[in-house]
Amino acid sequence: MSADTPPLSGPPKPQAKGLNCPKCGAAITLHSFGQAVTVVCASCHCILDAKDPNLAILQQFEAATREVKPLIPLGTRGKLRGTDYEVIGFQRRSTTVDGITYYWHEYLLFNPYKGIRYLSEYNGHWNDISICKTLPNVDHDMLGSSSLTANYLGETYKHFQSADANTDFVLGEFPWQVRVGEKAAVTDYVHPPRVLSSEKLDKEVTWSIGEYMYGREIWDAFKLPGAPPEAMGVYENQPSPVTINVTGIWVAFAAFTVFLLALMAFLDMRAKKEPVLHETYLYNRAEAKNETSFVTDVFELTGHPSTVEVKTFAPVSNHWIYLNYALINQDTGQAWDFGREVSYYSGYDSDGSWTEGKQSDTVVLPSVPPGHYYLRIEPEADPSLSSISYSVDVTHDVPVFGIYGLAFLALLVPVVIISFRAYTFERSRWSESDHPPMQLSNMSSSSGDDE
Amino acid sequence: MFRKFYLLYGALVLSTAAFGQYRGWSLDTVNQLKNVPKSVRDNPGSYRTVYAGYHHYTGGK
Repeated sequence: MSADTPPLSGPPKPQAKGLNCPKCGAAITLHSFGQAVTVVCASCHCILDAKDPNLAILQQFEAATREVKPLIPLGTRGKLRGTDYEVIGFQRRSTTVDGITYYWHEYLLFNPYKGIRYLSEYNGHWNDISICKTLPNVDHDMLGSSSLTANYLGETYKHFQSADANTDFVLGEFPWQVRVGEKAAVTDYVHPPRVLSSEKLDKEVTWSIGEYMYGREIWDAFKLPGAPPEAMGVYENQPSPVTINVTGIWVAFAAFTVFLLALMAFLDMRAKKEPVLHETYLYNRAEAKNETSFVTDVFELTGHPSTVEVKTFAPVSNHWIYLNYALINQDTGQAWDFGREVSYYSGYDSDGSWTEGKQSDTVVLPSVPPGHYYLRIEPEADPSLSSISYSVDVTHDVPVFGIYGLAFLALLVPVVIISFRAYTFERSRWSESDHPPMQLSNMSSSSGDDE
Repeated sequence: MFRKFYLLYGALVLSTAAFGQYRGWSLDTVNQLKNVPKSVRDNPGSYRTVYAGYHHYTGGK
């Protein structure tokens, strides 16, 4: 055998030891060489002592759960994270919380050079698990009854849940004395995509570290047929699809808002806001029987294409006046046609006094090129008005603050969407924990009541 | 990834706002026409505005 790790895939498979079940006589093959402590007969489900040359029966259990079929068949070989592994054991475990039993599956993977590692699967969520190389530091709360955080290799893990895990069904080889019905106290701490778990059986505590994997990765690694079961819900260490620091994005948003305000101040100072026309006119109904339209004096707009603001003021009261405007470039014949109404109503009723409308109106024309312009104005007014004066103010190059408002919204919307998605995902995650978001708020309100 | 995207996106939004402000963009919509005859200046009644006959609000509460 060469010093390099030989690939496990491809026939012929190396078989270390061929034995027979002392109960049913079925052939049993040990794949993990000397590492197997117990082996389960695939035929009669007797748990046998792999260390005993005669395979002494350690436990017999009626496989009422015989229908449990591993998603990855025992003996399947694949390459996981660059290393070849063979699936040698399988167990179904369960925990009961609030009367509801939850099941998950664990697969034992073996490489003669790398040893054992595990895959766990729950509702389509997978974890690649290995035994911790160093002991994590656990911070206990003030009562010392439960630990809130654990630290492993410089990373802080939050307590997720503690529960009793029951072993329901076993198949294959195990490097420990596996028993059906065995109960272990399991505590999970999460730091997505990793999960740190302690498993206490009698007085022995085993720590393991797991990393979330997607079903497709498992299927690709073991070249399994079909598609992996679809992941349901949010798992405790499932990485959030919003893989960003939400606080950092809000900081970026705040910075952009400051830039936007600075830009607004700068461009507001820079805007010419140049008055180019200010006239007051009189609308007289008696004269309106003839042609009412007229044109203003010519005014010049200079510089780059910019805004033109047309402001109309009329001292109307419970009346309206309507002005058909056309801003016409006398050089090119280009025109901006628009109509503006000025109306103001007020009164008093059972709800008190009310008002509606304004005595002034402002419109901003977009991107008007430089040139010589005049306004054509065609007024109309409430038939009950005999005459009314109105003023027209034209200002060139005014800032449009609505653009900054839109820019602010454009900056805000993605941040709000991302924050909401991150919040709902984390809420779903922690709702399955010992610290659901609802309970946290209830706890804080109840503690407030106690004080 | 999103942070990078957002930084680029934010820079684009600010640039667009600055460009729009410089070029005189407006949120108001008006009707643009071309080739209005020069005779309008001497005879304003020859121009027909598209807003003539607008139904005026005569409301109040």
